[in-house]
Amino acid sequence: MTRFSKIIKQREFRTFIFLILLFVVVGFINTDYLSLQNIDKSLKSSLIYIVLTVGMTFVLLTGNLDISIGGTLGLSAAVCGTILRDGGNIFLAVLAAIGIGAFIGLINGFGLIKLKISSFIMTLALLSITRVVQVIYTDGKWVENIPANVKELSKIDIFGVNLLSIIVIVGVIFAQVYLSKNSKGRYYTAIGDNVDGAISLGIPVKRYIAYSFVISGICASLAGLIFVSQIGFVSTNAGVGIELTVIAACVLGGVSLAGGIGTVVGAALGAIILTSINSALVFMKVPAFWNDTISGALLIIIVVIDALLAFNANKKAKKVRLNARVLQKEA
Amino acid sequence: MQAPKNLVRLENIRKSFNRNTVLEGVSLELNESEVISIIGGNGAGKSTLMKILTGIYKPEGGIIEINGEKADHLNPFAAHERGIYLVPQEPLLFPNMTVEQNLTIGFRKDKKEVKEESIKLIKELGWNIDLKRIAATLSIAEQQQLEIIRGLLRKSKVLILDEPTSTLTFSETEALFKVIEQLKNAGVGIFYITHRLDEVFQISTHVVILRDGKVTLKGKIAEFTKEMLIQGLLPAENEDHHQETFERRKSNHEGEKPILKVDNIVGDGFKNISFDVYKGEVVGLAGLVGAGRTEIAEAIYGINPIQSGKVYLDGKDITKLSINETVDSGLAYIPEDRFLNGIFSITSVRNNITSQMMKRSGFFIKKKLEEQVAHQYIDRLRIKVNSQEDEIKSLSGGNQQKAVIARALSVNPKIIIMDEPTRGIDAAARGDIYSIITELKNQGFSILLISSDLEEIERISDRIFAVYQGTCKVCLNLDEINAVNVMKASFGTFEGGDRAHD
Amino acid sequence: MLNKIPKWNLTLFILIVVEMIVFGMMNPRFWNVTILLNSFNDFVAIAIIGFFVTLVVITGGIDISGVSIIGLTSVITGLLSQVVGINIWVSIICAILVGGLCGFLNGVLIAYGRVQAMIITLGGMLLYSGIAIVLVGVSDVSTYEGISGFSEGFSWIANGEVMGIPNAVILFIIMFIIAYILLHRTKYGRYIYLTGINQNTAEYSGIDTKKIITSTYVLSGLSAGIAGVVLTSYLGSARSDYGAEYLMPILTVVVLGGTLITGGKGGVVGTALASIILGFMQIGLQMAGVSTQYIGLATGGLLIVSVAFLGINPDFRFNVKRIITQKQNNGG
Repeated sequence: MTRFSKIIKQREFRTFIFLILLFVVVGFINTDYLSLQNIDKSLKSSLIYIVLTVGMTFVLLTGNLDISIGGTLGLSAAVCGTILRDGGNIFLAVLAAIGIGAFIGLINGFGLIKLKISSFIMTLALLSITRVVQVIYTDGKWVENIPANVKELSKIDIFGVNLLSIIVIVGVIFAQVYLSKNSKGRYYTAIGDNVDGAISLGIPVKRYIAYSFVISGICASLAGLIFVSQIGFVSTNAGVGIELTVIAACVLGGVSLAGGIGTVVGAALGAIILTSINSALVFMKVPAFWNDTISGALLIIIVVIDALLAFNANKKAKKVRLNARVLQKEA
Repeated sequence: MQAPKNLVRLENIRKSFNRNTVLEGVSLELNESEVISIIGGNGAGKSTLMKILTGIYKPEGGIIEINGEKADHLNPFAAHERGIYLVPQEPLLFPNMTVEQNLTIGFRKDKKEVKEESIKLIKELGWNIDLKRIAATLSIAEQQQLEIIRGLLRKSKVLILDEPTSTLTFSETEALFKVIEQLKNAGVGIFYITHRLDEVFQISTHVVILRDGKVTLKGKIAEFTKEMLIQGLLPAENEDHHQETFERRKSNHEGEKPILKVDNIVGDGFKNISFDVYKGEVVGLAGLVGAGRTEIAEAIYGINPIQSGKVYLDGKDITKLSINETVDSGLAYIPEDRFLNGIFSITSVRNNITSQMMKRSGFFIKKKLEEQVAHQYIDRLRIKVNSQEDEIKSLSGGNQQKAVIARALSVNPKIIIMDEPTRGIDAAARGDIYSIITELKNQGFSILLISSDLEEIERISDRIFAVYQGTCKVCLNLDEINAVNVMKASFGTFEGGDRAHD
Repeated sequence: MLNKIPKWNLTLFILIVVEMIVFGMMNPRFWNVTILLNSFNDFVAIAIIGFFVTLVVITGGIDISGVSIIGLTSVITGLLSQVVGINIWVSIICAILVGGLCGFLNGVLIAYGRVQAMIITLGGMLLYSGIAIVLVGVSDVSTYEGISGFSEGFSWIANGEVMGIPNAVILFIIMFIIAYILLHRTKYGRYIYLTGINQNTAEYSGIDTKKIITSTYVLSGLSAGIAGVVLTSYLGSARSDYGAEYLMPILTVVVLGGTLITGGKGGVVGTALASIILGFMQIGLQMAGVSTQYIGLATGGLLIVSVAFLGINPDFRFNVKRIITQKQNNGG
């Protein structure tokens, strides 16, 4: 096994090791940080991000970008919040969320495939639009007075572990298995990895790009539902700017914006790291205002190292290839 | 003896692109356990023919039969279904996936089944590929092996190998040949596209030579010698398309100082290259695609580093200079891949022409001057445009190339390196470019012409250096330049002057 | 093709006229020149950054870190002048230079480190706003109130006027002219276009594309620094969270202005017109009694339509035809 393949393999492990390291170091300074209670809490506070990164990973794998997720989250939270407030069934809320997410995802896919707009602009536009739709829907008001039993939902524990966390973890594992083991699931990675290769093997590229946006939309609106249940109210700027944090989490977890590289698990770990830094600072008695500086610096450093490694590997490969052509026998 | 089973029969295949005929009635047959080498120069129609067979292009006429059945509406998927698989020169793998994932993707049946089949196949072939490796870490040879396995997994009975050895090392090539032997024994039919004559004799059972879209020679390999193959590759006599003859000078540059002197340079893709170019001379750099000519040119121009050796331009050492400094010293380069490196597609012809000369103007753009320069070159090189504002993308290939030449001329160079200047250009524009070259020569410019077009390089060059697998050992003077010698030198079989044909 | 961009600019100009007519009919106060000119204060920061992000986008990159540089320079201006006690004008220059430095870091990592611009400037966005927050935190200034107590002279920068024309308008014009001349009248500007159209060809032509790319990020950082100072002056206090909501508007003005997101085509005239459209829309909606939150609907719609439709995507008509016929087929 060459060194290069090891580096690639380590992408998720590296993220994981970093996360462990974070806990160990912080735990060394303040042992409370390692308590099960805190780990459970860290996980809980990163649930929304984890769900979002799962959807985002699908889109990123195909080599696209979805920045409409913040808007989808807000709209879905507002709609689900109203349904629940007005005494609606939780299953109705889930259905509504899935419907909203799928619809927004379809519009994104339509713009990309049929109108040939770049994913960045298309989802940026939809972000603006969904925000307004949310305002129109809620008439600019907050959705409050959500029944206590909804908030209780996010607090149910099974064997001492939060039920919602269990569902999300199962979801992540399911998505991971689908992407890496299912023969169709591998199409997403394949498309981002080498579009020409994917076409030549008869993979329906456009359809799977549309699917990725639908999945991302559904994940975002489910995250909206979690938002309602965890926070208990929906403001008009729920989830503003969250898309950038989610992209940062994915990149931190080893997902490439160029497509073809990354795993859902890695992205989820990235999400946990970003939210854990926050609580770690509290435990280390470092003022919380260091949070963004650390996250930003971390992101830049990791990405630059990755890029340099990849560049050098490419250069080396090209060199080897060129020199293979040179006549070996010396006259 | 029992007649071998017929796998592919092509009859009278015709194909043209934009009135440019590429195939003029090609007929071929491939039977079980045959390895047919297809040889031919650039533009002979080899890859077009294979793309027709794999359903990427539709033929304009002729019959395709696969396993004795007529195959009319072939597309890539149908071709796979019928057992035809093309192993492209640059394998289309998913670089970030493992070998196993690369093999199992795209199948409707169970992955485990495919995996087991792959393991069995790899074992049968005696290869040593770790299924867990990432495809990006594979050597090109291994990537090709992977493509071959992909083909075999699809129960392919016909494999097409497109210049598989062009990027392989010697030992990798040997390994590949063993595989071909095994496949042959297992009944697979193989089309083997190559430039290397040695290989043809080493592995093929039959040979076919294509030239200008026609089969000029075919038959069992045992019936041929290398000399005969080279004859078959040569243009037919009395078949001159270009009536004008080029005024050429015999090299007699004693005492003169060369404009460009390349002294024993070594870099990625070439080694120990030496040649020189004198004032007012067209020097050809002949050789096959992938021989290393473009790499040499790019190294001289300053794009890629030169590891050792020296390059002098008019006596000045330019070995380590950047592109910018090289241009300032008086060297211009017209790149091989026009679309990738030659043009600024979505801007005007004027901006394309002036993009290099404007470095000599000050901070601000001088629009008047630009217009004037663009006008001058559009006239001088007869570039067909409606206005200078036309997007260069909207021009024909020939006119695009002329604009690129105009850009090179605008910096007033001492020598211009032209890398495949007539590639993908129609006949009329080709003639124009030849006369531009002649004109430039008469005005005292020196030109280093890189071309895979035998006729072109043979007719225009005053002297020819041949590059063969990254080395340059042969220099042909004017009286030695003829098609046979150039061809031999390109294939690495030139052993001294052969003037009998002149 | 060059004549195609002015056509788009004309469309944008017509849009402004339509806006003025429509909003004026809804509320005649909109036709008051003073009010219109004063409205520049609300979007001059977006426009200033937009001009130079246009240069970045033409090279084929993107810069989303400007929104954080605004906050950072605002805080630095406040800290240097009010807490450290340096002369306000020196503080301003230092702050703007810090903005340029942030841009330089972005540019170097993108051009020489070969990382996607999107990721680096995303990281930069977190980092620079993080530094701003840290500076505020470390210096024990109230995050919510910010640093205030600036001199009148400083307040004049954004709130003053020269010969009846608000400084915001003058600033808008000055920055526009600088960007316009740089991009459309100099060799440097031409190199920006050439780099964006085809970086390979530009390299082969002897253009140092990495330097060009880096420099556009420096300019974008400097412009964000200026925007930060202007905003601080306008609002009278230095805060780290200034500009946080400007990300979408900045990108919208650039793209709506007709600059190709893949690089190589566009210009600052379009960006200027688009920023006026956006700014007038905001004030027009306010006057019409409509919540400004609705502005996103218009900008989002404009964004999709503009990118898909007029001239920027020549395939569009063909695509529309195909979609329509497809739908008919499906329906039939």
